[in-house]
Amino acid sequence: MIWILLVAHLVGVVAVLSLPNPRPAFAVALAAPLASAVWAASRLGGGETDTARLDWVEGLDLAVSFRVGPLGALLAVLVSGIGVLIFVYGHGYFGGGDRRGFAATLLAFSGSMLGLVWADDVWTLFLFWEATSVTSFLLVGTKSTDSAAVTAARRALLVTVAGGLVLLAGLLVLVDVAGTATLSEMGPVTGDQATVAAVLILVGAFTKSAQLPFHVWLPGAMAAPTPVSAYLHSATMVKAGIVLIGVMHPVLGAVDIWSGLGVTVGLLTMFWGAIGALRHADAKLVLAWGTVSQLGLMTAMMSLGSGKAIFAAVSLVVAHAVFKAALFMAVGEIDIRTGSRDLRSLSGLRTSMPVAFWVMVFAGLSMAGVPPLLGFPAKEAAIEASLKETGASGDLILAGVTIGSVLTVAYTTRLVLALFSDKGGESTEVAPFRWAAAAPSVLLSALGVVGYALAPSVTDWVVPAATTLETASAGYALLRWPGLDSTAFWISMGIVAGGAIIGAAAARHSSPPEPVGANNVDRLVDRTLDLAKWTTGRVQHGSLPIYLVVMALVASLAVIPFLGSIDTDQLHTWDRPLQAGMGTTVVAAAIAVAVIRSRIGAALALGVVGLGVSALFLIQGAPDLALTQLLVETVIVVGFVIGLGGLTTQFPANGFVWRSVRIGTAVLAGAAVTVALLASAEDTPSNRESLTAAAVDEGGGNNLVNVILTDLRALDTLGEVVVLVVAAMGVLALSRADTARGGGAPLSDDVRKVRR
Amino acid sequence: MIRGRSPVVRSAIRAASPLALLVAAFLFFAGHNQPGGGFAAGLVIGAVVALRTVAGIGRPQDATRWFAVGTALVSVVALASLLGGEPLLDQVIVSETLPLLGKVKSGSALVFDAGVTAIVVGLFVAVFDGLDADELGRDEVQV
Repeated sequence: MIWILLVAHLVGVVAVLSLPNPRPAFAVALAAPLASAVWAASRLGGGETDTARLDWVEGLDLAVSFRVGPLGALLAVLVSGIGVLIFVYGHGYFGGGDRRGFAATLLAFSGSMLGLVWADDVWTLFLFWEATSVTSFLLVGTKSTDSAAVTAARRALLVTVAGGLVLLAGLLVLVDVAGTATLSEMGPVTGDQATVAAVLILVGAFTKSAQLPFHVWLPGAMAAPTPVSAYLHSATMVKAGIVLIGVMHPVLGAVDIWSGLGVTVGLLTMFWGAIGALRHADAKLVLAWGTVSQLGLMTAMMSLGSGKAIFAAVSLVVAHAVFKAALFMAVGEIDIRTGSRDLRSLSGLRTSMPVAFWVMVFAGLSMAGVPPLLGFPAKEAAIEASLKETGASGDLILAGVTIGSVLTVAYTTRLVLALFSDKGGESTEVAPFRWAAAAPSVLLSALGVVGYALAPSVTDWVVPAATTLETASAGYALLRWPGLDSTAFWISMGIVAGGAIIGAAAARHSSPPEPVGANNVDRLVDRTLDLAKWTTGRVQHGSLPIYLVVMALVASLAVIPFLGSIDTDQLHTWDRPLQAGMGTTVVAAAIAVAVIRSRIGAALALGVVGLGVSALFLIQGAPDLALTQLLVETVIVVGFVIGLGGLTTQFPANGFVWRSVRIGTAVLAGAAVTVALLASAEDTPSNRESLTAAAVDEGGGNNLVNVILTDLRALDTLGEVVVLVVAAMGVLALSRADTARGGGAPLSDDVRKVRR
Repeated sequence: MIRGRSPVVRSAIRAASPLALLVAAFLFFAGHNQPGGGFAAGLVIGAVVALRTVAGIGRPQDATRWFAVGTALVSVVALASLLGGEPLLDQVIVSETLPLLGKVKSGSALVFDAGVTAIVVGLFVAVFDGLDADELGRDEVQV
């Protein structure tokens, strides 16, 4: 079933792209998420676990592996269920037009996210992690003509992909220390190596989940169309980091630095995100910063790692996905119907857009953690988890969560009050109501109430999910009414009261301060690009001879470590006298190449070198090598005919210095190759017999060389031909770039030099 | 240049091309038990491509297609064994007695090798495209 659902996403992408008529694009796209959501929902609360595994290379422990337990099912319901609503919403949001490419990309993202939350193998996880980065880049850059959107997309891609590389490093270290790549088989690890892995993996998670100081990409990504923001930047992609921290908790939770780093960064992010949300006047940016803040709380809870904290984190993930998607959708609806998201100018929306108003109120109350909404018990759980921590660090955590929550209530209050207040003067004009754009948000905000009413059922879904991460999470519950003797309840009420006062005051502030600039990443990117240009200018100067000299020198340096491993006892003059004769010919021809002034003469002398070497192979008893060498020589001769056609008949005269450099380089390169050969010759192929036997038995051929190439070591060949294809495609691309740019492109200097 | 000056060379290349392709085919199938193989066959066909380019006779144009075919062949062979539960790139060997040819033994490695050949040929086509080598076969280019 796991395979079917994942492949269904892929099939869906192709189907959407090949639709003859763009109208049903979103309808076709939502089929696969709908099926996944239904399947996952049917498993909620149940204890069964499904796995799917495809071993790729057993010896390297490489496999594509999925495991859907309670957590996988719960997250899949969020990812696919909200995905379905997003497709409906997208249909209303765009209101016609050709959106096949957009719908297909969104579906590809949805499938990647599903693969990510179901992955049971670190490499599978990483693969889908990167897939979400790439697809989200395409989605943020949907308006490819808008330079702000392109910059934002680039920023998001750079931050998340850089984080992905850090994560990759962390996973490599982790697999090494844990001894397996399968997540469900990993036991707890500690020690220095585990600490390194923990830090690297946390950094990876921070970039994806927009934690300080990597949060800068998220507000910028609001340049994306609202369906993208509602899906990626609230409910799904940014949760990937939280999920990663959760999945790694059983393995790395015991590492000292794990919870300290995660909680500190999480709480700071919660605070800073909330400040950002209070300062902005664009409703969507307020939500974006609010998301950063909420992600901070979830990161803190997930890395805190106690049973209650993990339970709180999973509950928050659920509650947040539901209310934040609703909030984004409502703001998007306001945006498309009024053409503005500015808190300072929108006026009279309470009467002109009542649906959006009530959606914002209910979803906002859930975000603020007010009963009777699902956000309340989740927030209560977080506060209780903080209360359980002892000592000074416990007090700090409680203070952090409390302050962050007060600010959360404040920015929520401010957002709703400012967005829907009457500013005096005329009311903002509002375009006609669209069902498809409003219905999903209504459903989601209603789910906040339903979720509260059905808190015991939600508990039944959340607890098994949390216990797969931390067994101590069993036994906790989402409480509709914790009772008046609960400390957490009074703290919670205090938070709501305090936040509401601050929020109301901030909402009356007619002109909020200008936003804090998040351009540091852009500046960093520009600097890096400048540096890259500078380096390129220095290194890629376009002189072919200098390239060759540099490459030869660097390659020569690489053999230095092998100098010591030459076995001089093995050296002898020749096996057969004919080799001496042939060798002399080769050397003489090589010297002739360097001395002859005529180009065609040098080419012929080079041909003699090649044929001589080919003859040496033959004498040595390697007919395959000899044949290949002979054919290569033949082709090279034709190549010379082509190349020399446009050149002068004589080599140009070189100055003494340049000539010496070239001769020196040539001698050095030759010496280096000699050393490399001598050093490797000592290593007698011990597995010759086994290879010979295997060639006939397994390969079914008597030509050992070819059986090795196409069967026994076919993976090497596969890699080589792929490299060949990539290199050749590069050649093609470069030459075509030259034609396309009218021959003035700096990249193709080499090509033109060769041509001249 | 050559086209304009030496009809003998052009005719010779034209006449030799099918023979060279035959050599390539021989090398390709001989590779299993004797010197030769897909790479060598690709080189021979590449040489034919090169000669025809120089002589200004028609040659294969679309390198991308060669790459596509070659990569598809090697990938199919590589992945096909996974479907059967075997490790990546595991070979299937077929042994049949055919009329005329007698006993013939071959395996999926042959398909893999055909992919290698296609990629090598594609490389030649790509390089000649990249160097605008067709220019050399035209009369108006002056040496």
